[in-house]
Amino acid sequence: MPPRRQPPPASGPWGPRPAVLLLAPLLLLLALQGVAAAPVGAEGPEDSPGLQDAEFPSGLLQQAARAALHFFNFRAGSPSALRVLAAVLEGRATVNPKKGCQVDLVFTTDHYNPEVGEEHLGKCSARVFFRNQKPKPAINVTCTRLIEKNKRQEEDYLLYKHMKQLKTPLDVTSIPDSHGHIDPSLRPIWDLAFLGSSYVMWEKTTQSLHYYMAQISSVNQWKTNDDTIDFDYTVLLHEFSTQEIIPCRIHLVWYPGKPLKVKYHCQELQTPEEASGTEEGSAVAPTELNNF
Amino acid sequence: MQGAPGGGPGPGPSPVDRWMLVVFSFIMATALGQMNFTGDQVLRVLAKNEKQLSVLRDLDGLKPQKVDFWRSPAKPSLPVDMRVPFSELKDIKSYLESHGLAYSIMIKDIQVLLDKEREAMAKSRRLERSTSSFSYSSYHTLEEIYNWMDNFVTEYSDIVSKIQIGHSFENRSILVLKFSTGGSQRRAIWIDTGIHSREWITHATGIWMAKKIVSDYGKDRTLTNILNAMDIFMEIVTNPDGFAFTHSMNRLWRKNKSTRPGMFCIGVDLNRNWKSGFGGNGSNNNPCSETYRGPSPQSEPEVAAIVNFITTHGNVKALISIHSYSQMLMYPYGHSLEPVPNQEELYQLAKDAVKALYEVHGIEYIFGSISATLYVASGITVDWAYDSGIKYAFTFELRDTGRYGFLLPASQIVPTAQETWLALRTIMEHTLQHPY
Repeated sequence: MPPRRQPPPASGPWGPRPAVLLLAPLLLLLALQGVAAAPVGAEGPEDSPGLQDAEFPSGLLQQAARAALHFFNFRAGSPSALRVLAAVLEGRATVNPKKGCQVDLVFTTDHYNPEVGEEHLGKCSARVFFRNQKPKPAINVTCTRLIEKNKRQEEDYLLYKHMKQLKTPLDVTSIPDSHGHIDPSLRPIWDLAFLGSSYVMWEKTTQSLHYYMAQISSVNQWKTNDDTIDFDYTVLLHEFSTQEIIPCRIHLVWYPGKPLKVKYHCQELQTPEEASGTEEGSAVAPTELNNF
Repeated sequence: MQGAPGGGPGPGPSPVDRWMLVVFSFIMATALGQMNFTGDQVLRVLAKNEKQLSVLRDLDGLKPQKVDFWRSPAKPSLPVDMRVPFSELKDIKSYLESHGLAYSIMIKDIQVLLDKEREAMAKSRRLERSTSSFSYSSYHTLEEIYNWMDNFVTEYSDIVSKIQIGHSFENRSILVLKFSTGGSQRRAIWIDTGIHSREWITHATGIWMAKKIVSDYGKDRTLTNILNAMDIFMEIVTNPDGFAFTHSMNRLWRKNKSTRPGMFCIGVDLNRNWKSGFGGNGSNNNPCSETYRGPSPQSEPEVAAIVNFITTHGNVKALISIHSYSQMLMYPYGHSLEPVPNQEELYQLAKDAVKALYEVHGIEYIFGSISATLYVASGITVDWAYDSGIKYAFTFELRDTGRYGFLLPASQIVPTAQETWLALRTIMEHTLQHPY
């Protein structure tokens, strides 16, 4: 077996280490596009398990964890109980060059809005299947229950009531502003927008692309009535590793305890030919039917 | 802008009232020659009904003038503010008391207030000329930063000087601060921030660290040793055109603002334009892409300026290029997974630097080579630096890990700068102790 490359770095998202971190022998998907470039000419066998660490795309476990968490947040449908990745504890990947790449992993999570003194690390296990650089990975994820279901609904309902009290039309341009400031009264909007974006970010994540929500660039519609919040907004997603900023128009409908409904349309990257006539963002209504 | 002090709860002049007072007094002073308001008071009266309001209105228009209404009697429950000359105070207060009108003294002595205001304004004008009033915990515009630089260099002229190393595409000055305690062509450390204009935390961190350097020289032993033997060059706004654009039009702009005939998209990614591994997979030749490498290595004036400066200097021993976000400290290469010859040393140094950073606020960074830790990136600054013979080449990705990303709240500027400084100092100390 070829010698193992040096262990991954010490701290941070890789977690407290090496005793716990398992990188079992990996089948490698060759000819990876884009970023995780293998050195030229280093082709390996397609069908035998081999330790080809030098070609291991850095952060595949992280990719899987992120996708799983976006999916988890979306499915939980709770803006007051959003989770973020803390550390990957262990993981294993199997590659089928024809179909894709399956990752099994265990990771810890943190509260999205950390409260002072609160130290609740959650734990999730997930199976993520990436289809050959195509988006919308298939996800199976279970997480330890941290907040009791009733309490979570209570918090969501408080958020909901708070949001209903906001004066409409909302007098905001972007959240946060250029200086990173979010008015406390608008924070629930950010959380709800993040919940909607989680759906989008899950669907768009591939083995090599992942996303963060950079900014709500406009609020197109904010309607509250007795049984839903109807939120139509444009969000800017920051795409790694291309560094692109992708505007996405998202329309969500939410009520505490009910599954989140999301429709969205993201702008494609401009090519030189398209650039000249194209206006920023599609002001067109979302055409892609997602889970409505 | 600072709120007026004493603008807390309870009675007391609001900032608006104070300002009106000052305006009023200036107008009066110019119209009548300097007037003296010593002993004059401003009373606030609350009329409970129309009858009480008319009692107040009776005070108006008397000759000689008994009161001067700042807030005239209008409706019951709306306060009435009136300036009462010192000579009339006793009479007016008896008048109010005899009619059952409650009053409070808002300003005990107007002249005192006027004098304080005048003094404060003069002080504030003096302060603007010193860097201690520049807010290190806010984000600033290009003009503000360039002004700060001039003040900074003036105030600390024994250690700092300003060098122009070139012009940007839109013809803005490209400026570098030089920290030096003497000597000639000393071994030097190069630091740059803001090569990607949307990474505002980096410029803010650079500015804070500049101030830290001058403040700590002579006080902090490590820093003093470093500066006694080496020079530090710091380029804070490495991409001035992009930075101006993030203020005016697009907060999330990354590249510079160069254009070429026939190209529909603007800007080159300055961190893909260097002559090391140029054109590889970790960059893009689509001009509309955020990682567009440019037509050729060093084609961009912002990059060429640095290349010329460092090459001509000839004695730069460490280069640190600061970005955000992701919380990482990394070393070459970005364009390939091939380890650099002194990889083990760089790994250890990064480990120590990250530990020093962590000890400040508990923030966790990961570290390693760029290609292994972040992603493959071709034509980057630190790869060029390393291939040019600079053994200690590092790149930071500052806070955070995606929650705010580029839009890091200003409240995190100082904590970020504090921790980054210790990591940077670790690297600089190692460079000092390992001459080559």
